[in-house]
Amino acid sequence: MRRHRLINFLATALVMSIGLATLIGLMSSEGSTPASVADFLLQLIMVIAAVAVLIGVLNLMGVHWGRMARGEHGWPYSLVALVSLAAVIALRVLDRMEIWSGELEGEQLSPRVFEAVQVSLESALAALLVFFLVFAAYRLMRRRVTPWNLLFSAVVVIVLLGWIPLDNGDALRDVRDWLVRVPVSAGTRGILIGVGLGTVIVGVRVLMGQDRSYRD
Amino acid sequence: MNNTELTLSLLVIAFVFTLIGALLTRREGLTLRVIPAYVVLPESASDAVESDNRIHFSMGSSGLGQASTISALAAAEIMYRLVQRLAVSPRSPLITLSDPLTLPLAQDTLRRAYEYRQNLDYYHSRAAAWLPQGSRSLAFAAGAASLSADIDANSHVLLGRFGIEMAIIGESATRHDQALIGHSDLPEGQAIAFAQANQVLFGEELYVGPAYLGGRPLEWGGVIALDVMRWLIILGILLTALQAAV
Repeated sequence: MRRHRLINFLATALVMSIGLATLIGLMSSEGSTPASVADFLLQLIMVIAAVAVLIGVLNLMGVHWGRMARGEHGWPYSLVALVSLAAVIALRVLDRMEIWSGELEGEQLSPRVFEAVQVSLESALAALLVFFLVFAAYRLMRRRVTPWNLLFSAVVVIVLLGWIPLDNGDALRDVRDWLVRVPVSAGTRGILIGVGLGTVIVGVRVLMGQDRSYRD
Repeated sequence: MNNTELTLSLLVIAFVFTLIGALLTRREGLTLRVIPAYVVLPESASDAVESDNRIHFSMGSSGLGQASTISALAAAEIMYRLVQRLAVSPRSPLITLSDPLTLPLAQDTLRRAYEYRQNLDYYHSRAAAWLPQGSRSLAFAAGAASLSADIDANSHVLLGRFGIEMAIIGESATRHDQALIGHSDLPEGQAIAFAQANQVLFGEELYVGPAYLGGRPLEWGGVIALDVMRWLIILGILLTALQAAV
């Protein structure tokens, strides 16, 4: 118990000092000692991020291996994920060894595979999003009709109609532009200001040593 | 007033009012205005335990060491308080995330909650699953939706940084009859949460979660400080607008 308390105390002191040092550094002029200390601390994060990717890959393998071993629902997808992971790593190693010959000489196959699979899949998903959202707006009105839900649906309809290249659609396009420029922009700023204020509050909590994410 | 002075002023105001708020609420507590999502969240946890179901939490692309660090910490704190309630059940929740640096945070959040309940036997580090992030995170959302459908989760709690990819998880939630409680620190994710989620947390509401889920005086102080800063900014905007008009 006493050991736990000591570790918690040291962790809190460390987090508070590093937080303050980074804050002071970010507010100091470039090239000054506090700014250099802050730079060093931020560079440390880059190193930790590189290690974290490795941990992430191990976690990915662990999660999917576990699903396969337990025969959980959807385990064949986990098998596909693991085989794809091994194949991409192998392809990357072969790229680095510059093993390809003939037409593929000097080529990097892993970016090509990325383009062919990942980008096209993500594009397909992105194309589906508009249907998800329109259907969501429809469901929103079915669930409960409130003034806010009505406003949301009306704006969705006007903005979607505003994008249709109609011959006499100038008025609709003007309304759409006004909506995007004035109320949407104001609402977006409101949300971002709120997020900013919330960030300050949690930041102060961290600087006061009240955040529990690093303590037992 | 330059950016540094503005940041310093905000920090000082937040610090002072958090302390004043903590002192004022230390004895008698604080009656907070109702945020429906914070009423539903503990109920969802209780339902999951009673019905032997699981909850899918997601931090999206919130990442430590980035602009979304604070949203990751705030989301982790809320998850900790909810997982504390879930940790009596052998069915551990699932946490998905797409930033590798957040993975240790998620795993430790789970571990601490199970340790609090002295139930570490039920803790599995693999209950936190990292899904690689694409440029738009759509692959992450598809993976998270699929994982949560496979474990038969009864609700999704999405807290942190989400963009349009939240729509994929929302659509999956509708198809599998799962509840969805959503928040994003990005406006596009917030709009999707409004359209798809059963309950939404707006903007700064994520950051006051601890005060609503068994809060302590300093957390209540944070709510008071947030309100004070909000009103100061409203006054600032109004005065600037008036000055411009005159």
